Amino acid sequence: MGSCRGEKKTGVPLTWITFVMLQAPCFLFSESSSPEVDFRSEVLPILSENCFHCHGPDSADRKAGLRLDTVEGAHQTLESGEIAVVGSHPEKSALVDRVSTSDPDERMPPPETGKSLTSTEIETLRRWISSGGHYEEHWAFLPIQPQSPPGNTDPTGSEIDRFLVAALADRGLAFSPPASRSRLIRRASFDLVGLPPKWSEVKAFVEDPAPTQEAFARVVDRLLASPAYGERWGRHWLDLARYADTHGASAIGFTRFAFSYTYRDYVIKAFNEDKPYDRFLLEQIAADQLSLEENDPSLAALGFLTIGRQFRNRHDVLDDQIDVITRGLLGLTVSCARCHDHKFDPIPTADYYALHATLANSEMPANLPFVGDVDIPEAYASEFAKRKRLRDDIVHEQGEVFRGRLRMQAGLYLAELAKGVPEQDTSTSFLSYRTEDLRPVILERWRTYLKQLEASDPVFGPWHQLATLNPDSYLEDCEALIAKLEKENGDPKKFEEEHRFATKAPQWNPRILEAIRKRKPASFVEVAEAYGEVFGQVHRDWLRSLLDASAEAAPGGELVPDQDARHRIVNSAIERQLRHHLYAPTSPTSLSFENPKDLMMLNRGVRDPVRGTLGAIDGLNRGNTAPPRSMILRESTSPPKESFVFLRGNPVARGERVEPAFLSALSPNGPVRFRDGSRRLDLAKAIVDPGNPLTRRVVVNWIWQHHFESGLVRTPDDFGTRGAPPTHPELLDYLAESLLEDGWSMKKMHRRIMLSKAYQQDSTERPAARNKDPDNNLLWRMPKRKLKLESMRDALLAASGELREEGGGRPFEETDEKATPQRSVYAFINRDVISDMAATFDGADPSACTVKRPETMVPQQTLFALNSDFIQDRARALVELPEIKDASGDRDRIHRIYHRVYGRSPDQEELAVALAYLSDSPDPAGALPQFVHALFAANEFHFID
Amino acid sequence: MTEPDIHLTSRRRFLRRSGLGIGSLAFARMASLDGSAHAGDAGHFPGKAKAVIHVFLNGGMSQVDTFDPKPELTRRNGQMLPFDNLLTERRTGVALASPFEFRKHGESGIPVSDLFPHLAKCVDKMAVIRSMHAELPSHELSLMLMNSGDQRLVRPSVGSWLNWGMGSENHNLPGFVVLCPGGLPVGGTNNWRSAFLPGVYQGTLIDTSEKDPAKLISHIRNERLDTAEQSRQFELLRTLNSGHLERRPGEAALEARIKSFELAYRMQAEATDAFDISREPASIRELYGTGQQNEQLLMARRLVEQGVRFVQVWHGKGQPWDSHNNIKDSHRKVAGQCDQGLAALLVDLEQRGMLDETLVICSGEFGRTPTVELGVQGGGATLGRDHNHWGFSLWMAGGGIKGGTIHGATDEFGFKAVENPVSIHDLHATILHLLGIDHKRMTYRYAGRDFRLTDVHGSVVRQVIA
Repeated sequence: MGSCRGEKKTGVPLTWITFVMLQAPCFLFSESSSPEVDFRSEVLPILSENCFHCHGPDSADRKAGLRLDTVEGAHQTLESGEIAVVGSHPEKSALVDRVSTSDPDERMPPPETGKSLTSTEIETLRRWISSGGHYEEHWAFLPIQPQSPPGNTDPTGSEIDRFLVAALADRGLAFSPPASRSRLIRRASFDLVGLPPKWSEVKAFVEDPAPTQEAFARVVDRLLASPAYGERWGRHWLDLARYADTHGASAIGFTRFAFSYTYRDYVIKAFNEDKPYDRFLLEQIAADQLSLEENDPSLAALGFLTIGRQFRNRHDVLDDQIDVITRGLLGLTVSCARCHDHKFDPIPTADYYALHATLANSEMPANLPFVGDVDIPEAYASEFAKRKRLRDDIVHEQGEVFRGRLRMQAGLYLAELAKGVPEQDTSTSFLSYRTEDLRPVILERWRTYLKQLEASDPVFGPWHQLATLNPDSYLEDCEALIAKLEKENGDPKKFEEEHRFATKAPQWNPRILEAIRKRKPASFVEVAEAYGEVFGQVHRDWLRSLLDASAEAAPGGELVPDQDARHRIVNSAIERQLRHHLYAPTSPTSLSFENPKDLMMLNRGVRDPVRGTLGAIDGLNRGNTAPPRSMILRESTSPPKESFVFLRGNPVARGERVEPAFLSALSPNGPVRFRDGSRRLDLAKAIVDPGNPLTRRVVVNWIWQHHFESGLVRTPDDFGTRGAPPTHPELLDYLAESLLEDGWSMKKMHRRIMLSKAYQQDSTERPAARNKDPDNNLLWRMPKRKLKLESMRDALLAASGELREEGGGRPFEETDEKATPQRSVYAFINRDVISDMAATFDGADPSACTVKRPETMVPQQTLFALNSDFIQDRARALVELPEIKDASGDRDRIHRIYHRVYGRSPDQEELAVALAYLSDSPDPAGALPQFVHALFAANEFHFID
Repeated sequence: MTEPDIHLTSRRRFLRRSGLGIGSLAFARMASLDGSAHAGDAGHFPGKAKAVIHVFLNGGMSQVDTFDPKPELTRRNGQMLPFDNLLTERRTGVALASPFEFRKHGESGIPVSDLFPHLAKCVDKMAVIRSMHAELPSHELSLMLMNSGDQRLVRPSVGSWLNWGMGSENHNLPGFVVLCPGGLPVGGTNNWRSAFLPGVYQGTLIDTSEKDPAKLISHIRNERLDTAEQSRQFELLRTLNSGHLERRPGEAALEARIKSFELAYRMQAEATDAFDISREPASIRELYGTGQQNEQLLMARRLVEQGVRFVQVWHGKGQPWDSHNNIKDSHRKVAGQCDQGLAALLVDLEQRGMLDETLVICSGEFGRTPTVELGVQGGGATLGRDHNHWGFSLWMAGGGIKGGTIHGATDEFGFKAVENPVSIHDLHATILHLLGIDHKRMTYRYAGRDFRLTDVHGSVVRQVIA
């Protein structure tokens, strides 16, 4: 266990950093020598951390056949004859023996892992085995249980308080006294709307004669009703949704999304409307499958899946979607199972690929729906039509050229297949091509195409038979086969008939048989070449016939009857058999370029200009005249491809077949196949199913975390066996149940939490309490919190009186020189070039789901406070406000400044300091903004009590 | 999960057990986030190197024109190779002999082409690895691989890992500095990002085409207040903060921010000096020579001297070494820009006794084809070379490297690494080893998994270690 790593004498310092302390809470309680060992909170963390990597759910990596994450595995007799866990007999249990031996060859975990168990941990295992060595399922996978709060010790406390008070009392602790009203309203304002309260609001609350609970409830309701609430909590959600306004992974510079902001605005609106959380998730995963109107604004919710980083590799895009869904919504690190079964949790790779299959056949369509009934400016509409036509024309023309060449090159691809080249990974395209270069995507299209053809296909039926001939006697066997097939075709004389507008043709295509016969192939590759020659000729003949037939229509052209022998090629049923494989929409050469990525296959010289016409449409859509559109997904209507496990994550190493389905660990009755056409909807439904033990626990924990700095589960995106168990498991379930009772309302959850004594208590440090509970797991005080990036910036703009209340639409860009007085949530977020501000102030990493931001304290932050134009300009703006300018003298002015900046009046000493600062200044005019700047920089502005 | 809490918690716990009170936690928190060691100051075992200068020849240096002479290529100039050309980004044709002359240098006799006349004199300090290979012939992907060990996903860069693991030796400067003149290389800031490590460990980009050192670090100066005014204001700030703290005694986070202010205030005076090469004596400036490349190499030495852990020196924006056309002139030009500075860097570090503790790495993201690139549709050959990830050369010096070493080999044409191939993960493992870190044991838990720079790969190339 992590807690003891620091004491280990032989360990290098690194290890105690690495071995995490997350399980600490349970040990705090268990250290006090309770004789009962709790499997989930005490034993499982030890096994998971130290043993499961080699003796866990991952069957491929399992050592010595031992599996320690199941009771069957632990109790079975191993090949060595040992038994890891013999119930009630620690002395017979190999587990105890192996972790405590001093023999380095025998010792577990092996020395090279750098891990080893402490004596306390070994003792825990011993006691656990002594008491039977029973297993229990990991807490997070057990159903959410209705909980009634423990016996009421304090009639004034809420139900939430009763859970907390009971745990505090066990340790001889109690809540801190209530915070003062002025502290409380500041806390509540930042919490709910991300802004400081106005002085008038502070005054009204402080002077409200009603009891605090009643007066505070009114404050909470007012804040919840404010549109600023959605801007604050929407921003929390956007962290989780790894929101950004650029693609990421651009080679040079960055590419903007045209419509990412419509997702951001959807999220803000959903929070403000208190959209039930279950509906909120359904829309974000499957709005397109909810039978909404074509332009329903809720379709913008799908940005949750589409605004992620635009990896070049399709499988990475899907991986990112799987990660945000599972880690963000379920608290499970399913992405670990991309390459191997999860090392610690019951998530096999098959589950990962079941989700992969669920998401894989959905793509963003070329035409995106508008967000609601928007005005479409005439200028935009006509320009859009113009650019779209240009794109369509160029793609069509270059596509024709490209398809023509592919038809001429059929032999090239067939020969590759005949050589037996392995399947190509087509998920990343980066090569640049000339005409003669083979395109792996086309090769794979040919491979799949040939596989799907019937054995009776007149052209490729023989191909399949020719593929299986004995290489040692190839020519001989081939000649025999061709002779047999030609015999089956019957008399060649009748073929002539079939060249004349016939619908009937021989069973086996005579041209193919003849070409092979004449070729005298010594190998299958030569057969492929023969096919290629025929196809090349067919293509030439067809083009020539088209030209000739067209020429007949020219002025003065010779009119030829349609049945005339000169139209033999066009009318021939035998030719038609061949042409089918070149020109039918199903042909591997009939590439439609519906997927813009396919344009990468064009020759280098034309690829970039053609893609430029797409860029021009994007460019228009990024402009200010473009009406908002929803970045939706559509599930493909064509029959879905089969899905497989990719062995070690390699898309061309196919493992077992999988069906689109939910995680098996969360499907008590076995996974149910998701229905085609509503795969994502079925996934979303499984996520919000009240029987799902994770979704509600995860979201109430997330809400709790944003009120108390830490969640009840300290690892908010890992509820698995290596995550931290909840500090208050019953309270967690109580909250999860309450969410359901409240109709999945988030606003009601805030109210429940904020009207507790726990939330309203003071935040002053208490050394005696800290000695007993160093990490404040029990909440003996309200944690002190530092303003995060957005709140800090917004609070400065609010204090200076500049902040504009309205926001939304296209993101604004701020420069060092000039601030934009809008809330930070509306700022441009560049995933390719992380802004200085975001890097300095721990902004969420927009490349991956962030459930909890890291928090650092570095001099770059204080340099910003000391020297940035931004902070100094806000100070100047503040002193220019009429209410400051019009103050009656410095005393009054300082009072007003304190009200604006800190939401309180200065005390006598502070007033004296301020007056002295102003009067002693060599530059009286400059002193006032300098003074305000110092207030802005000081700790009081940046910390919430 | 966010890691800082974790190691903070463990550190806090550790301090508590060591009998230190809450008050000192402020410093612990700051120090730890500000870059003290997570791999231990001493690391896993004694390492020679304490700092790294990575000179990035972005675009890709041709191995057969610099450190990997191939007479066979000259012999077959203009002919097709006896095997199919390996697949690279673009189509290539016949063998293209190097237009540069190779000579053996130093006691070790390592051959270097006439592209690097100055550097050639330093071969006895250098280990040349001729058998490097990457995974794909694409700039972005190979840059990501070289810098973070993963060519697709967003992972922390080497400099971020090192700073997280080893901390900074100078709290007035960022521990990971990226020098690049004129703009961003391909891949931009992805090349030095901290990904899931805290943002403070990401590289700080310095555009070395900017000559005023004060403009190199954000907010390092107050442009509006003179020193006297600022000092008066700073006193006021101290008063405000201490009054605030008095009413909230024992609050570690408040103390930490107060300390951070003191540090920032000092940095204003000191930090820019490190970037100011005009403070170097004339003799040193002459040693390095003039021009952006040479000057930024000198700046890199100053930074390392001041305790910066990892300095990455990019040749320039875009991909200056990407000689698809006319390798003769284009490679001549870029090599000429940095040759003198590279040699000077090694000499200078040695003179100062810093070479043993400073690992210098010079590489591109891949090499170039021995065969000539064919032009776009219908065009002929370009007399240039395409990307080549199959095999390429790089060199390292100082920091525990065994000088005068050649390791590994490509095939007889210099196309593919065939003898002792070294992967990028192996390179990373070796770099960490030289810094005293076991690449298998420097891990960071994120999203439920223990991440490593080398993921599940990598073995140390012991042959290049002294």
